[in-house]
Amino acid sequence: MSDDQRRLYEQLATAVFELDEKLATILAQEVLDRGYDAWQAVERGLLEGVNRAGKLFDEEEYFVPELLIAADAMYAGLAILRPHIKTHQTGFNRRVVIGVVQGDTHDIGKNLVRIMLEVAGFEVHDLGRDVPPQKFVETAIAVKADVIALSTLMTTTMERMGEVVSILEAEKVRNRFKVIVGGSPLSQQFSDRIGADGYAPKAAQAVELAKRLVGLSNAA
Amino acid sequence: MAQVHFRSHDISVEVEQGASLLDAARRGRIRLDAPCNGAGTCGKCKVRLDDAARDAAHVVDSAKLSEAERREGFVLLCTTLVDGDLALDLPVGAEHGLKILEDGQQIDLPLSPWIAKRHSPERDVTELLAGGQAIAEERGDTTPYTYGLAVDIGSTTLVAALIDLNTGARVNSGSALNPQARYAQDVLSRIKLGSTAEGLELLSREVISEINRLIGALVDEARIPRRRIYEAVFAGNTCMLHLAARVDPEPLGRYPYTPTLTGDAHLSAKSLGLAIAKTGLVYVPPVVSGFVGADITAGMLSTSLADLQGVTLFVDIGTNGEMALARDGLLQATSTAAGPAFEGMNISCGMRAARGAIERVSLTGGDVHVQTIGDAPPVGLCGSGLLDAVAELAVHGVVETSGRFTKNRAALPSALQARFAKRDGKPAFHLTDEIYLSQGDIRQVQLAKGAVRAGIDVLLRRNGLDAAQVDRALIAGSFGYHLTVRSLIDIGLFPPEFDGKVTYVGNSSQTGAEALLTHAPSRARLAELARAVEAVELANDEAFTKIFVAAMAFPRPERAALDDVA
Repeated sequence: MSDDQRRLYEQLATAVFELDEKLATILAQEVLDRGYDAWQAVERGLLEGVNRAGKLFDEEEYFVPELLIAADAMYAGLAILRPHIKTHQTGFNRRVVIGVVQGDTHDIGKNLVRIMLEVAGFEVHDLGRDVPPQKFVETAIAVKADVIALSTLMTTTMERMGEVVSILEAEKVRNRFKVIVGGSPLSQQFSDRIGADGYAPKAAQAVELAKRLVGLSNAA
Repeated sequence: MAQVHFRSHDISVEVEQGASLLDAARRGRIRLDAPCNGAGTCGKCKVRLDDAARDAAHVVDSAKLSEAERREGFVLLCTTLVDGDLALDLPVGAEHGLKILEDGQQIDLPLSPWIAKRHSPERDVTELLAGGQAIAEERGDTTPYTYGLAVDIGSTTLVAALIDLNTGARVNSGSALNPQARYAQDVLSRIKLGSTAEGLELLSREVISEINRLIGALVDEARIPRRRIYEAVFAGNTCMLHLAARVDPEPLGRYPYTPTLTGDAHLSAKSLGLAIAKTGLVYVPPVVSGFVGADITAGMLSTSLADLQGVTLFVDIGTNGEMALARDGLLQATSTAAGPAFEGMNISCGMRAARGAIERVSLTGGDVHVQTIGDAPPVGLCGSGLLDAVAELAVHGVVETSGRFTKNRAALPSALQARFAKRDGKPAFHLTDEIYLSQGDIRQVQLAKGAVRAGIDVLLRRNGLDAAQVDRALIAGSFGYHLTVRSLIDIGLFPPEFDGKVTYVGNSSQTGAEALLTHAPSRARLAELARAVEAVELANDEAFTKIFVAAMAFPRPERAALDDVA
């Protein structure tokens, strides 16, 4: 990799991190114009940028708006680069089925986690919001998911998460999937009670949790 | 069994071993805030135990306590289990001196109550009429004694007014805290608790008993027998009405939040357990949706919202920021999940609007000045103080428009620089030696004010309007009453175009309930209006996330104040 290539990827990462969607678009085009590898630009530029934004989010330096705007910048760059990605070396082949449980339509938190999982290299199947418990199970089986990630903002809908675990057990497929839960009314105790495999209080921690549960890292 | 002695309240309670101190306090009927209902997640029931008490208790550790607090012997009541006899002091009654707003803008309507009396001299009996139909008979001439009750059932406070139905005059009024808050703080937690048969029974009994107690105090003072109250009007949000009427609130807790009780109904007071005349009625005003309730429709009535020409925005700023946009009589309404930050919850030094709460903050002259409720020594920060503080921090460049504490502290006046400190390794800004705002607190305010502003912007956008086209903005509710327009604009909760167009209408839910009590024809009219109101579900608006995200930012400061620090 040439210095010039490295410099351009770094600029791309900085553009995303500094929330400059327009610059990210221009730089992504520049990658193509100079004939550099699109996948490398995604990995070392776009994803790296969102990663840095995610770190600041975790430290409370960045907040929901910054992270979503960084993600917009990443997606804008990705739209240009994606048709030119030759290799299918996308991530490490671990799949997550994610969604907001039935009865709840608040999906900003779920979207943040989805973005961060994608950036971390997971293949994410987003079922959206107000998702019936059965649908999580069916999709997880169909796509051979490793992780089922459940989100809710409301105290009144959190019990739906337990139903997903119950259905997995009833269908005798519980041990095929790791179930992780998140959302502001939740706690570790709740997660333990419904028999989930893990709870993450914050978006960035959800990624660490997912990685740990699928055996990609040992971090606690 | 073990004895728990609450020294501060001089109350002793006997409980089984393994019961929590929170349970013990509840059994002693001591009022305490436990927003999470003992789940150990809110950290509000913090108390200090001495060594002897600690030895007689099993303390379950909580992440809500800092290292320093643990060292000093602080525990959470809800996660501390009783092993043997022990004694402790509770913090001074946090709810002492709580501000409750009883009044609001009134509408001038002729006297025409639902309840009337007719005396027939030949039989010497008095007929009781409800909506023109005779429902009961009393011996003698009781026509001079005809009373009604207007009640605003707020999730935090209850307000009741005793009205003479012969004159329309308010004879007496009073207020109390909604006791349901002891079991579940926010509306969603109450829906959850009320979704079980025992929970519904508990919440319903608690609120009705407290209203009965309030009625007792009002009639005793006015020297009127309870049985001369023939009707009560219950205004309140949709959930409060379900709970008061003992109707399962479960459907309100899930999309599409469909209410079972739609209002404009006359119920039997006896069946609800309300201690007024045996034949008495309870009128429940119409609701628009699961999250736009009778408190808002009552407010629509008392502010004549549907009769105003031009564009009017009606906003109740609170945990559920409900709002309605009226355009020459056409109404749209929505609600936003602002969360409990405005009530001082989930804020490091937050508290309710009670004695000692900082309610005003100013950063003029290069340093912090605070004013507390009752001019007492500051003990925490209530919602209005929080909003003031964050507005001033934004205006004076202490926080950036993104909400982050400034990286350029050197540009601030030295007195402000000196107010930064580290709490748990993260930056915090001190208003006093003890009271501070963390970065997380400012994020909570951003979420809350962003939600309300997003609601306003979505309603305007759906109507193709911009903020400048709004002719007037009405602020309802007791929280909004304590806010200044300056802070609301500085923080970005209102667009700057609202400057000079804002009116405070106070507790318009209460005054609307009174209007419905004394002017029965308004009932059918309001029911018709409520049916015509379009309920907007923000989460279904495609632009909501983008608008919400934009609304979380603070406006760029334009005031001269910034020149001090530039």
